[in-house]
Amino acid sequence: MNSLMKKSWSPYLAGAPAGVVLCLSVLIAGKYFGASTTYARSAGYLEKAVASEHVEKSSYFIHTKLKVDWQMLFVVGVVLGAFISSRMSRDFAAVAVPPMWERRFGANKTSRLILAFLGGIIALFGARMAGG
Amino acid sequence: MLFCRRRDNGAHDIRKGVVIMELIYGLVTGVLFGFLMQKAHVIRYDKQVGAMRLIDFTIFKFMLSAIIVGMVGIYLMRDLGIVSLDVKSTSLGANVIGGLIFGVGWALAGYCPGTAAGALGEGRWDAFIVMIGMLVGAALYAEVYPALRSSVLIWGNWGKITLDGILGLNHWVVIVALSFIYLGLFYLFEKKNV
Repeated sequence: MNSLMKKSWSPYLAGAPAGVVLCLSVLIAGKYFGASTTYARSAGYLEKAVASEHVEKSSYFIHTKLKVDWQMLFVVGVVLGAFISSRMSRDFAAVAVPPMWERRFGANKTSRLILAFLGGIIALFGARMAGG
Repeated sequence: MLFCRRRDNGAHDIRKGVVIMELIYGLVTGVLFGFLMQKAHVIRYDKQVGAMRLIDFTIFKFMLSAIIVGMVGIYLMRDLGIVSLDVKSTSLGANVIGGLIFGVGWALAGYCPGTAAGALGEGRWDAFIVMIGMLVGAALYAEVYPALRSSVLIWGNWGKITLDGILGLNHWVVIVALSFIYLGLFYLFEKKNV
């Protein structure tokens, strides 16, 4: 129980079990890890609510079928798992400006969030182009 | 569903059961992975940007440790015939250009699709804004996709190649060689204290 409440583990000692989790996932569910497709599907669902015909005709969303699937639950699980871990070790913190950013650019939330938003757009765009 | 004949209901329920199990597996797997990532702090902005700045190699240590275990485990199971690989096609245009674009976005955001979710879980809510941006990026990509499909995405399409395949080596040779290289990197990281 003590080690589960430690604030941080060696990346080697956390990474190796992560590899085991991957192997078990492939063995039991036949699923490899991924996340970016979930964002594509979620965007499709949201867009469908306001422009349903456009989404139905979209070759991309036909190619990336809209469904609530393993990966979507995996991403939800990641949020949950990180939450549980951080609460157990009192490492949870409602923070918007990372320390490294603050040291370089100051504590202003707006500039951090603008770059965060832009970065997100570019990152997912590139990820989908690269193939996930 | 209204037109399901009684005879089909059994098969329909089994399919529904399979889907529900899959969703549960996804959730549990995500929780475990999110937990481990949080413990290693690889979901932190500082660690990810630190890796990109080549001043903090925590990300590499975590990833490569997982990869060593994953390589051995997956290929062992594959050789035993109990799992199958899921090889993605290599398309140089898509992979390289997409990768470069992703790198820019990752550097600005400080999180990737998976780690943003994890960061949100531990309260770092700039990740939430990143995730919103990612939804926008996905929608944007959907708009551009038809144009890319006949250009960038098919430049340098090499098909579903693997490292061992193109080197003409047994996969275990590649796995052992890579593992040694990664372990060597670990030794270097620790020696340089990064």
